Amino acid sequence: MEVTRQNFNHLDAVIDELHALFESWEQEDALLSHLDPNTIQLFRLAVHEWVANLVQHADFTDREPELVLDVIPNGQRVRCVIEDNSEGFAFPEQLDVQRSALTPFPERGMGLLMLNAATEYFEYSETDDGRRRPEFTV
Amino acid sequence: MQATTMNFLIEPITHDTIVIRVGKALDFRNAADFKAAAQEQVRNGIRSFVLDFTDTGILDSTGLGSIFSLYRQVSPMSGQVVFASVSRPVQVVVQLTRTYKVFRQFPSVEAAREALR
Repeated sequence: MEVTRQNFNHLDAVIDELHALFESWEQEDALLSHLDPNTIQLFRLAVHEWVANLVQHADFTDREPELVLDVIPNGQRVRCVIEDNSEGFAFPEQLDVQRSALTPFPERGMGLLMLNAATEYFEYSETDDGRRRPEFTV
Repeated sequence: MQATTMNFLIEPITHDTIVIRVGKALDFRNAADFKAAAQEQVRNGIRSFVLDFTDTGILDSTGLGSIFSLYRQVSPMSGQVVFASVSRPVQVVVQLTRTYKVFRQFPSVEAAREALR
């Protein structure tokens, strides 16, 4: 399966770059053409929520941020991997925290829950060289 | 008369009802601005808000949280927050979070305007 890879280094611009990329993919009608329009939006939302979480909360210490987005079309679905060189966080535990702390109409703390709801499959791991590696399918 | 408050275009409908044109994005980057703009309107006596999502390509969890904040503020005062001209990206978030149970939707700003007048 063909993998489309994009690299990002500037946290202050990454959200704009990401959405510009999605718009070009949608307009070109190529990479995401196998998906129905709602699935495309769910995919876009899932990627946005993860990267927004990185921009707001990730600790890159003194390293230049490196984000690598891989998009892999997969039948009627799309698989996505977003590697980064941040310190990372305990995803399953944080998801449980958000879930248990959820109050009606919360102002914060919905991001990971929304990401989880938007995806069919989600796995969070670490690569051999210490990079964080969420992988999900929409 | 229209006014722009912190990048959000605001149009009065009645003495206590306004339309806020959300624009291209309501996300973690401008949610605090939205909240501040809405709070200012509440302080000025506005109780009913029509959120116009015609051009909105991004609504994320933080943006939705700022709308929840407004809802929590006005609902005890018999106020309301309704959605108008909901774009597909916003509709996906509405369906995913089931907020269609909370926020009435109108196909256009004009329809919302008529309903709330």
